[in-house]
Amino acid sequence: MGRFLGSRLLFYIAAFMVAVTFNFVLPRMMPGDPFEIMFAAAQGKIQPEQMAVLKEQFGFVAGPWHVQYWDYIKGIFSGDLGPSLTYYPTPVTEIISGALPWTVFLAGTSTLICLFIGILLGIFSAYNRGGKFDSIVAPALAFIGAFPQMVSAMLILFGLGVILNWFPVGYGYNPDVDAGWTLEFFMSVAYHAALPLLTMIICGIGGWLFLMRNSMINTLGEDYITMGKAKGLSTRRVMINYAARNAALPVVTAVAMALSFVVAGALIIELIYNYPGLGNEMLGAVASRDYPLLQGLLLIIVVCVLTANFIADLAYFWLDPRLRK
Amino acid sequence: MKNLLSFFKGNTPATVGTIIVLVFVLLSVLAPWITPYDANKRVARGHQPPSAEYIMGTTRSGKDVLSQVIYAGRISLLVGFGAGLIATIIAVLVGITSAYAGGRVDAFLMFVTNVFLVMPGLPMIIVLAAFLGQVGPLSIALILGLFGWAGGARVLRAQALSIREKEFVTAAEVIGESKWRIVIVEMLPNMVSLIVGTFAGAALGAVMGQAALEFIGLGDPTVISWGTMLQWAQHNSALIVGAWWEAIVPGIAIALFAGGLTLFNMGMDQVSNPQLKGSKNLKRWKVLNDELEAQRKAKQAANKGKSHDGVMPV
Repeated sequence: MGRFLGSRLLFYIAAFMVAVTFNFVLPRMMPGDPFEIMFAAAQGKIQPEQMAVLKEQFGFVAGPWHVQYWDYIKGIFSGDLGPSLTYYPTPVTEIISGALPWTVFLAGTSTLICLFIGILLGIFSAYNRGGKFDSIVAPALAFIGAFPQMVSAMLILFGLGVILNWFPVGYGYNPDVDAGWTLEFFMSVAYHAALPLLTMIICGIGGWLFLMRNSMINTLGEDYITMGKAKGLSTRRVMINYAARNAALPVVTAVAMALSFVVAGALIIELIYNYPGLGNEMLGAVASRDYPLLQGLLLIIVVCVLTANFIADLAYFWLDPRLRK
Repeated sequence: MKNLLSFFKGNTPATVGTIIVLVFVLLSVLAPWITPYDANKRVARGHQPPSAEYIMGTTRSGKDVLSQVIYAGRISLLVGFGAGLIATIIAVLVGITSAYAGGRVDAFLMFVTNVFLVMPGLPMIIVLAAFLGQVGPLSIALILGLFGWAGGARVLRAQALSIREKEFVTAAEVIGESKWRIVIVEMLPNMVSLIVGTFAGAALGAVMGQAALEFIGLGDPTVISWGTMLQWAQHNSALIVGAWWEAIVPGIAIALFAGGLTLFNMGMDQVSNPQLKGSKNLKRWKVLNDELEAQRKAKQAANKGKSHDGVMPV
């Protein structure tokens, strides 16, 4: 157990360091003074003394690159990502912690629902191979999934939001409702999340369905399935406990690979539905060249994706006893 | 030529996908001759709905949407194919080197590949583009190409590894052929369908990536592409004010082109892995199975009519 999870953890730490290095190198690769570039949007807002502090924190110190890099890493791991320039002096971490729950909610919920429905439909589709569902509904879902999310989001927004006016087309909740642990607030959040979630689910199901179906078809040919049937086990037991559990392994691997796409999708969807979250903050940061905020957002997105990957590893570990030796 | 025909025969996804992609290429090449108006000029009042005169309506600034969408195809296709080409070249180099060299080189290259796979590409590209300022189509193609090769490299490596174990490669090694010759003459031809599939997949990702980048406002807004058209539509709140054509038309164009590439890619997968060609064989199997069942039932019925002669119906 320790070896598998340990090596995965090492890989994620290395991947995180790549992202940190990416942030470190980028401003230094641009022509001109990297510090000036990073903090150009702060002109006139920040006092010279504070500038000096920032310079040190972001590693813009005199000295060879490894000294700068070390200072920069120290700055990152102190947990302080500097101030946002547009919302100065609000720290980047505060803006991120306000936006992060929305994106995690959107990406997490949609992925879980997609996986659940996709896997169930995939099992069904594989069991009734060549049937009506398998040859009509499944390919149709896959075709919808091939649409760029941007376009599907716009179509759904236009159809359900603008023409039919069933759902709101912006914001995370009704601003007249006080945020808090009240039913009214939760209903408002659910109501506003309906269209973004619907879009992500519709776009995502097809892929999982096909993956599960193909994996399931391979598994159904195995001897232990015949054995299970011959023992007189119920179809449900053979399908779920014998076949689906094994067929789910490639799906879990694919979840890890798909996560970065899910996050990218969530960012775009937030923009189109004007939904609060990392994507919207990112757009604002791009528009106002708020580089510290932009870099902070990137780091947090990387951390989220890597964490989710690790969770997928744990799920894999749980599903595949061979790894537990 | 004969080979090409036999490739398309019975491979519906590849045929349909190729036709869609070719139509888009043709429209882009012929853009100056077939567009009804100048895509860059104001030709009517803003936000005119589709009519006989302006088949797909006009944008808020009064430009003809049909002319724009055809011209935009030029840039979007060029960026897609350009980025696809860059990504494919890197994927082939990394994948085959990794498989053929093995050992430490393999471990290192696969580490880099896995990092690229696990990293959220779009946010990284957004940050990179934000530092560069507004990026033109050429830079977009370059960036998307540099970020889009990892998936292809892994697939190609797996394929190269399995080909490497084949007898004909061993034979070539025993004869004493050079490594280069083995890779180029013996291995590459067996990977063509996968490489073409990688290209289609990378181009697909690039078209979508470009649209996303430009939609966010990181592209050059003076260039007409599907992404910038969408950006303008969003900027003008076209959907909210009811001018759906301004947003839907470029959206459908991206979706159709992406659909074409996806189908083409599926067709290529079928060439690399004929087992996926399931549905047709499955139908044949079903027909045979039904016939068999019918025969059995007929036999059973006949047996029931006769006295039992000890033969159990199976």
